[in-house]
Amino acid sequence: MLLVLSEEHKEHLGFLSEVDAPVVGEFGRIAVEFLKKGSNPKIFEGAARKLNVSSESVQHGVEGLMYLLTESSKLMISEVDFQDSVLVLGFSEELNELLLQLYLENRKEIRQILSKLAPSLPHYHNLEWRLDVQLASRALRQQVKPTVTLKLHLEDGAKRRAHVLQTDPATLQHLIHELERALAELKSNHCRRILRNIK
Amino acid sequence: MELSESVMKGLQTLAEPNVFDLKSFTIFMDVAFDSLDSSRGESVLGHPELRHIDQTTLKHCHTAATTFILEGVKQNADKSTISSCLEDVRFQNERVDTFYNSFQKHKKSLESLLSSTDTCPPHITDAEWRLEYCIKNSHVHKVNQPSYLISLNTERAGASSEINFSCTMDQLQDLVGKMKDAAKSLERAAQS
Repeated sequence: MLLVLSEEHKEHLGFLSEVDAPVVGEFGRIAVEFLKKGSNPKIFEGAARKLNVSSESVQHGVEGLMYLLTESSKLMISEVDFQDSVLVLGFSEELNELLLQLYLENRKEIRQILSKLAPSLPHYHNLEWRLDVQLASRALRQQVKPTVTLKLHLEDGAKRRAHVLQTDPATLQHLIHELERALAELKSNHCRRILRNIK
Repeated sequence: MELSESVMKGLQTLAEPNVFDLKSFTIFMDVAFDSLDSSRGESVLGHPELRHIDQTTLKHCHTAATTFILEGVKQNADKSTISSCLEDVRFQNERVDTFYNSFQKHKKSLESLLSSTDTCPPHITDAEWRLEYCIKNSHVHKVNQPSYLISLNTERAGASSEINFSCTMDQLQDLVGKMKDAAKSLERAAQS
């Protein structure tokens, strides 16, 4: 699968062929940094002054790299496809190799960052449990009622929430049984066939 | 058992043969126990067999009888405690026996009723699950990861709700492993 670059995107990246390779390397480092931690426009001005170009050109160059990296990581394009995709930019071989290395080195991390953006439900984080025997309550004295108190920690984006729940021994067994069936299903022929074929 | 003035008075009225003959007493007690036991039990008020008794008296006696029943279940009162209490409010032996027989009959279900009227965290009753294979989303393609959606059904004070969350296979294994630890400890505790 090849990456289709828009004319505007090509024009923005074109700036990279006007500067030295170490500068492109630095731009690449900044682009990855921005993807991880968010962008910081002040850096554009500093770099522009040093290179004696407009800060807009620097911004376009860096943002063009960011877009190139996210799109290729998103599609998980292969090494060969990446090389073929950037060929249309008409860069030197050295520059192309530099971009490829930048892509390969950061692909995994960029995919991780992107996957956090995907819509998702609260996620399981941890489960703590406690065994109690209830002996009496306001409504009823002289009880012997075993209970299992569970604290379920869920993660929703950066937020953590804990739910305190309770259950009885019989239901606990039932829950284990049911969830083990869910785990076993993943090893069934049906699931294995689909997992094997969708690649 | 400690009983309030009003409950004592109500029980005393119940003991009086010229207000409640034995037949009315038996019917009254059946209705009183049933009203606690099932939500669709009949009411003593307007009951065809109890129409000859003053409604205000009936209401007072009903409150007294149900309070006495619940207090007895709550304290796990034995036969001698109940008998001596009822004899104090001048119940004749026959009525004490009638009461105690019904009490024994309903005790188990009233106990579970009282044990469920409890403030406690939501009680998990069941778990539902769904297995999915994520292929791609708007931000990342070729995700190709299986994931589970778990829904824990919970109940609290008669109202049910659910907790939904997703997890990977490893996380589900972690969850089940921890539940198994709890179940094992429970088993060990039951044996010792």
